Amino acid sequence: MSCLLPGMELDRATIGLVAEAERIARQLSVEHVVVASGVPAELLQHATRQADRVVVLPTKEPGDYQIEPCLAALHTVGAELKPRLVLLGQDTYSQEIAPRLAHRLQGCSIGDAQRIEIRDEKIHVTRGVYGGKAIAVVRANVEPAVVWTRSRAFAAEPERSAACQVEHHEGGTDDSSGSEIIERSREAASGVRLEDAQVIVSGGRGLGGPEPFAELGELAKSMKAEVAASRAACDAGWVSPSLQIGQTGKKVAPELYLAIAISGASQHLMGIADAKVVAAINTDADAPIFRHCQFGLVEDFRKVIGPLKEQIEESNG
Amino acid sequence: MDDATRQVLWNIKHVWVMYVLLVPTAVVAGYGVYRHVRQWRRGQPSARFDRPIERLARVLKMAILQATIWRDPLAGALHAMMFWGFVTLLIATTVVMIDHDFNVPIMKGSFYLYFQSLFVDCLGALAMVGVALAAIRRWGLRPKKLVFSDEANGILVLIFVILASGFLLEGWRIAATNDEWSSWSPVGLMVARVSTTVVSVDALRTAHLIVWWGHLLLVFGLIAWAPYTKLLHIVTAPLNIYTSNLDAPAGSLQPIDFESAEVFGVKNLEQFTWKDLLDLDSCTECGQCTSVCPANAVGKALSPRDIILDLQRQLPAMGRPLSGHTDVANEPSSIIADGTPLSAEALWQCTTCGACVETCPVAIEQYPKIVDMRRFLVMEDAQFPRTLQGALTSMEQRGHPFRGTQASRTDWADGLDVPHIKEVDQPEVLLWVGCGGALVDRNQKSTRALAKLLQHAGVKFGILGRDESCTGDPARRIGNEFLFDTLARQTIETLNSHQVHTVVTACPHCFNTFRNEYPQFGGKFEVYHHTTYLAKLIGENRLTLDASQIGTITLHDPCYLGRHNGITDEPRQILAKVSEAPLIEMEQHGTQSFCCGGGGGMSFVDEPPDQRVNVERSKQALSSGADTIAVACPFCTTMLEDGVGALQSDRKVVVKDVAELLWDSVENSNAAKADVGDRDKS
Amino acid sequence: MKILVCLKQILDPEVSPRDFQVDPDRLEAVLGSASLVTNIFCENALETALQLREGSDSEITAMTFGPDDAEETLRKAFALKVDHAYRIATPEIPHCNSAGAATVLAAAIKKLGTFDLIMLGRESGDWGEGQTAGLVAEMLGLNCVSFVDQIDIVDAGVHLQRQTDVGREKLVSDTPVVVSITNTETNVPRIPKTRDIMLAHRKELTTWTLDDIGLDEEKVTRAANATQVVELYIPEETSSCEFITGDSLDDRIRELAQRIANIVQSV
Repeated sequence: MSCLLPGMELDRATIGLVAEAERIARQLSVEHVVVASGVPAELLQHATRQADRVVVLPTKEPGDYQIEPCLAALHTVGAELKPRLVLLGQDTYSQEIAPRLAHRLQGCSIGDAQRIEIRDEKIHVTRGVYGGKAIAVVRANVEPAVVWTRSRAFAAEPERSAACQVEHHEGGTDDSSGSEIIERSREAASGVRLEDAQVIVSGGRGLGGPEPFAELGELAKSMKAEVAASRAACDAGWVSPSLQIGQTGKKVAPELYLAIAISGASQHLMGIADAKVVAAINTDADAPIFRHCQFGLVEDFRKVIGPLKEQIEESNG
Repeated sequence: MDDATRQVLWNIKHVWVMYVLLVPTAVVAGYGVYRHVRQWRRGQPSARFDRPIERLARVLKMAILQATIWRDPLAGALHAMMFWGFVTLLIATTVVMIDHDFNVPIMKGSFYLYFQSLFVDCLGALAMVGVALAAIRRWGLRPKKLVFSDEANGILVLIFVILASGFLLEGWRIAATNDEWSSWSPVGLMVARVSTTVVSVDALRTAHLIVWWGHLLLVFGLIAWAPYTKLLHIVTAPLNIYTSNLDAPAGSLQPIDFESAEVFGVKNLEQFTWKDLLDLDSCTECGQCTSVCPANAVGKALSPRDIILDLQRQLPAMGRPLSGHTDVANEPSSIIADGTPLSAEALWQCTTCGACVETCPVAIEQYPKIVDMRRFLVMEDAQFPRTLQGALTSMEQRGHPFRGTQASRTDWADGLDVPHIKEVDQPEVLLWVGCGGALVDRNQKSTRALAKLLQHAGVKFGILGRDESCTGDPARRIGNEFLFDTLARQTIETLNSHQVHTVVTACPHCFNTFRNEYPQFGGKFEVYHHTTYLAKLIGENRLTLDASQIGTITLHDPCYLGRHNGITDEPRQILAKVSEAPLIEMEQHGTQSFCCGGGGGMSFVDEPPDQRVNVERSKQALSSGADTIAVACPFCTTMLEDGVGALQSDRKVVVKDVAELLWDSVENSNAAKADVGDRDKS
Repeated sequence: MKILVCLKQILDPEVSPRDFQVDPDRLEAVLGSASLVTNIFCENALETALQLREGSDSEITAMTFGPDDAEETLRKAFALKVDHAYRIATPEIPHCNSAGAATVLAAAIKKLGTFDLIMLGRESGDWGEGQTAGLVAEMLGLNCVSFVDQIDIVDAGVHLQRQTDVGREKLVSDTPVVVSITNTETNVPRIPKTRDIMLAHRKELTTWTLDDIGLDEEKVTRAANATQVVELYIPEETSSCEFITGDSLDDRIRELAQRIANIVQSV
């Protein structure tokens, strides 16, 4: 089963998540049930063409999420459906639900899955460990395996010809909760969240100070990109820590990630593992970032950023 | 000529009044000095009386001969004129005293004429010139490094009036007594001649009487007042020079006994040593330290002079129980305070380059006090810039300060077949790579060059590889003595366990730590900076060089090589072999080099873009016009390369370690030989 | 308020990739010359707890489990002046995953009695699954709030704040509650004072065996066996980067701009 939780939209991450569940279900020859809670109608619509069943849990209002009731409802449905695999996304809610749901369903939980395979009838999850320095394949010895995934990395699946029905479930019995979300505020931040950004321009220690970030901002504007930074740049106080990409920062999945004056520590690379194209500008041809790039330019960023911006603006027309 | 003399105390009656006045003068002056002595005695112990011959020589050079004051030629000249003038006048007065009060008739004959008359007159005139220059400087030129105060103005006026009235007295005596030897006192004679054209001799006699007493009162007044002003340095400066650190600026930082110390570092004046407190009272406010401070030069708040003067200002309140202050267990608040010269901000701008200590004419040790206060901030207050926290934590956890580095200790040696020291049979030297040489990509090239040079010269050497760890230099200068203590003991133990006796390192910071600081912890090694060692190899003809390929070079002397350890010739010897073009010297070079900005842990702190020491130094290096900026320190390499990069010069100027340049030269020589060989074959 | 902070000691995440090795038989990372450090998110949790204590009448207990080496983590916590510290001495449990860890921690917490706040790091720098807090909560039958970056004590319990994918959230929670802490600008771990580091070695640290908390190795292993590592390897670096070449810098920049524009326009 795959779980769609409040806050999810019809985007690459969710499409990838449902598609992966659909593929695994086929491999395991089991039913694919999408369990959704407080998601938009078009997402449900999409789910009906990817799954055998779509079960909708009740919410007070669209998008409403409370930890304990949501968990209780998923537990109830899970107990009824007895899935072999429960797939969740990478968002905050999925991550916090996964281990607890696994425990309640007496299964096992595995986090941060980059790939899911069936070997010898068993569920195997591939994931980066030790700050991206190693890859581990973990086998689920007990089921259900409740797995939260880097679903942005998963490919889409063609829609089924026939849509299934949307069923409404009465949810869990336990509505009492000692913890309650009492306020929720959309960030007033300008632009797109880094996690959703399609293009990211990121700067690192090699920039040497906060001032080149202004130029980076200009370049980003020409590329319709968001600006991000490496941990070194954030630690130095050049930019806000909220821009940090990496193991202890944000994990992003843009179409293009342009790394400028970033050497490419493994922890940083872990944050951009899901990027489609990585490009870099760095003076050092031996910098690790180039080993993870599709293309790159060995040059001092100071000589590149200005003219690059002009060139891109030109080609934008 | 033998009967040449003059009447002492001519025209003066009731001379006993002078002797009576001498008593309060001596009491007031004596109390003024005693007050300070009492304060110094409150300081912590410090051993400063060993090597007396060296110390006396230092006093002779710096105090008597005024050798260090000439860095600022105008200030040096005017001070020397006044100093030697007044010393002469003091001797003359002593002669009078011996002659008159002790009845030893020495003030006669040619001694009287040559010394007591002519020489004293000339030196007095020289002092007047000095005063005039001082006046022009203080009130006309107004250099930034001076302190402009009523006290300083008052002293200058007083000195002028005393000197002038002295000449008037002399002149009027000559005129009134018709002194037959007056031509031996040219200035006095001139005053006499001018005076007699204006007034009658009788009037001069009266005026002489009044001015004599006035002159006496002013002199006594100045003597009494002096210990309460910057003139205190007349007493303290020689004392301070005698007790100074003979190895300064190196060897200034002392270990802490962590078991017994009540406070780690300096929070209040009481934690300074008595020598530190004497330092404060020795300051002449000349401002030389601040004028050479690289942080100050780029517009930062740090001013070593103001730190010394602010501490000096707080001295009178030292140790006094704060009346009415019952807050926080009656503890005096820290001397480190925002908005003063002792702000944490300023303390975190010091690169410990040592220029202040090197230049101080009275041997004050400024930067060690800054480190003492940093010790308090780091160890007791746990307050310091966040990026330094990263460096310190990394040193503690991983034994190197470069947080986030992707390199390992031996990446630089890929393909070079450099063995671990334990695999070398009877090694000549240990190559101590240092964190800067191993873990910073840029410097790996320099380290490779050095290793290849050693191999080329057939030196039997090894490295410690993963067994190497930070010597602790940044930790000590950042003020984390506890961490330094740990790292130092570990390193010494590692070296001893590998039976290392001789160490070669390309890092002046490691070099300085091995040479000047590990002996404090019982670690005694023969240590060479790579420039010294390579110069030695060249001298032994173990390297073949070709100097034709490398263009013009300027050399940036690393502070911890040149100023702190006096090594300035060896890198120049190497560069002379590397390039045919003569070395282009920057204005500030050798022991007076200008810091790259990276010492004292400051390469781990972000500087505001418009206040970067490395950019300033890079500007100086670029304006030398040289094609290559030679360096001899991994920190300097990266600081200057960044600085040159930030300046976006159109000229292609490269920053290279001396070892890299030398290796280029060896390779060029090999290529030339190969060429010859090829030609021979064909 | 009684606060428990669980700390995990891990292989230094910043060990250079060249020094990082895995044991292909044991399917574990090799310590080698790398150091053992306290997991950064655990340090954030401890910092959050220390800040909470500054404004309230609270008591902080630090807990970890593992072999003798793990004691260092508690000594560091002592240097930051936690009130009590407990180590559950466990043998090296192969692949002690979140489930195994939570089993040990939950049993120890049960033995220690009630805490108002049980704080853990968001995830660890080694395996980084971010599951332990949730599992501990389930085993203790408590509520759990994850990714918290700010805690305020209020009459009714605690106010918790966190950043989620849909925005900033404020929660009110009864105590006891299990909280996982993430890093933010305000909970950067502080540096201990030197004197406190020296004193930390004299503080009394309680060491319990698995037996003391009513567990045995087999029980932990059984819990941990829910998942099993079957492969662990260092990925081969595939250098497929195409370096942009060209006669002049202008040409190279033009080429780079073209490639970037192609991708950007297709988005």
